[in-house]
Amino acid sequence: MTLSEVTERISQKIEANGVSADRQKIESKLRRLVEEFGVNVAEAERTVMSDLAREHNIPLTGSGGGSSSEERRIRDLAPEEWVTIEGKIVALSPSPSPSIAQTGIIADSSGAIRFVAWSRGNPPVMEYGQWYRIESAVVDEYRGAPNLKIHSGTTISTVESDTPLIPSITPVAELKTGVGSVRAKVVQNWDVTHDRMLQVGILGDETGTIKFVIWKEDGKEKLELDTVYNIYYAVVDEYNGRLSLTLNTAMYIADEGDIEVGRNETEASGAIVHVAPGSGLIKRCPVEGCSRTLSRQNYCPVHEIQPDFRYDLRLKAVVDDGLRARNVLMQRDLVEALTGLSLDDAVEIAESSPLGMDDVFDRVKNAVLGRYYTCSGGEIDGRLLVNRCSPVTFDSAELAALLNRAGGEAA
Amino acid sequence: MNRRQISYEREPARRVFASEFRETRVQFKASDDEKSPNYALLPSGVRANRILVVGTLTEKQRQGDQNIFYRGRIIDPTGTFFIMAGSYQPEAMQQIAKIEVPAFVAVIGKPNIYQTPEGAYLVSINAESISTVDRETRDIWVLDTARETLDRLDAIGTTDDSRKAQEEYGIKPEIYRKMVYDALTQVQL
Repeated sequence: MTLSEVTERISQKIEANGVSADRQKIESKLRRLVEEFGVNVAEAERTVMSDLAREHNIPLTGSGGGSSSEERRIRDLAPEEWVTIEGKIVALSPSPSPSIAQTGIIADSSGAIRFVAWSRGNPPVMEYGQWYRIESAVVDEYRGAPNLKIHSGTTISTVESDTPLIPSITPVAELKTGVGSVRAKVVQNWDVTHDRMLQVGILGDETGTIKFVIWKEDGKEKLELDTVYNIYYAVVDEYNGRLSLTLNTAMYIADEGDIEVGRNETEASGAIVHVAPGSGLIKRCPVEGCSRTLSRQNYCPVHEIQPDFRYDLRLKAVVDDGLRARNVLMQRDLVEALTGLSLDDAVEIAESSPLGMDDVFDRVKNAVLGRYYTCSGGEIDGRLLVNRCSPVTFDSAELAALLNRAGGEAA
Repeated sequence: MNRRQISYEREPARRVFASEFRETRVQFKASDDEKSPNYALLPSGVRANRILVVGTLTEKQRQGDQNIFYRGRIIDPTGTFFIMAGSYQPEAMQQIAKIEVPAFVAVIGKPNIYQTPEGAYLVSINAESISTVDRETRDIWVLDTARETLDRLDAIGTTDDSRKAQEEYGIKPEIYRKMVYDALTQVQL
């Protein structure tokens, strides 16, 4: 979070109370606290906000002592509130830093929230599975989701409760950042891209699909492909506008039955107006789980020189319907079908033609450029990964409809 | 908080018939920024940084000694597009050099409007790429262009660009509808 974003947030808050905000002054106050006095941004924001609130007599939301002792439902918690809740510790994670005493997830029957207990406040150690009453904690925002902060002013007491806690299951398409429980099937298992990663793949239910990750940790087990699981209290993160589930905090149990997984496919129809470099015949890194594209010198960005590469065909192009230009990526089987050029033929051409791989690029380009196609597939980071693609054919019914539209209204 | 990265988005290639395109006079930039794209304001009321035309390349001419460039004429059912491919468009230049006329081609390029000292307007396309296609693709393009032109005519008065175009050109939608109709009748069933 940058200071100007914080400035904007403070300004909007005090403007909402009918007081004009001097953004420059607010930002310089923040900057002074952060840069000269080493205050962290959240604390600086709180300081400046409460100064301004005092100066202009603005009531701070939820900060009045009285209102925070009223018990709240976890699902209704929103950032910038002081709250009291009662809940059960459903997950504890290893502390990422000495300044954090404990972190995990606390839940009641309405929902769940991530919490962090700062060491500085000397909070009592909370135990997994135990119910607690937490008074005067602060809700703030961490990675776009509400987060409960337990600080020195927070009172924690154990609650004797054996109320069974049944997590409410959220359809995948309705997940929001924070904590979520799903009933979903493992539909894809990807190659792990990191040493610390235990498993990565795709989970889906009737409403859609979502990426999931499990990081290596004692006692964590992998999910089985094509198996349905009840997953309680996973962390929902957002990265580049897409959600993913981290299962390290979660409890997952295989369940009976099967799920017909809904596909959230996008369709794009239009002319191919650009064929990007990197299309045609490419060389891939042969190292298990890598498959990166090699440079002309057979150089993999990770595994260096790889003379025993394998060839592949692909097409990176732009499909344009006149209103929007979309990047698409097609794999070998589609490229072969669209261009009529097989991988073997392409390798043959590249090895015998004086132009080498450029010759294949030109052939692929000339076969598709300026022609109309309908593609569908999953969209990732603004690029359509095409699963199906077919040429658009001339439709005389459309011609008739357009003739009516053009002629009919002119008459 | 939403902090999605604002990524560069490619400008769509508008579909426009030759007889509308040759009436284009107005070019503008979206902002004062040096890198802001250049747009031509089409008479039917949409900005075009890039266009796609499919038609018959009937003529190509190589010109210039040191700075070689190609000129070409492309015919659609309503008229003629003039295209240029010079050393700033090496891909298009190499492609046009190989094509034998006449041929069905698809051209993707940028609108270019030039006013001669005598006051005449020369409207052409700086081609980014040219590829040979087939008859069916040409027919699909005519349908596509007809549909998008009719959509633009229907939207006149509802968008800023179309209001601006009405001020600049004051076109009569029924004349353009007639143009679209005539273009469609030339597509053989």
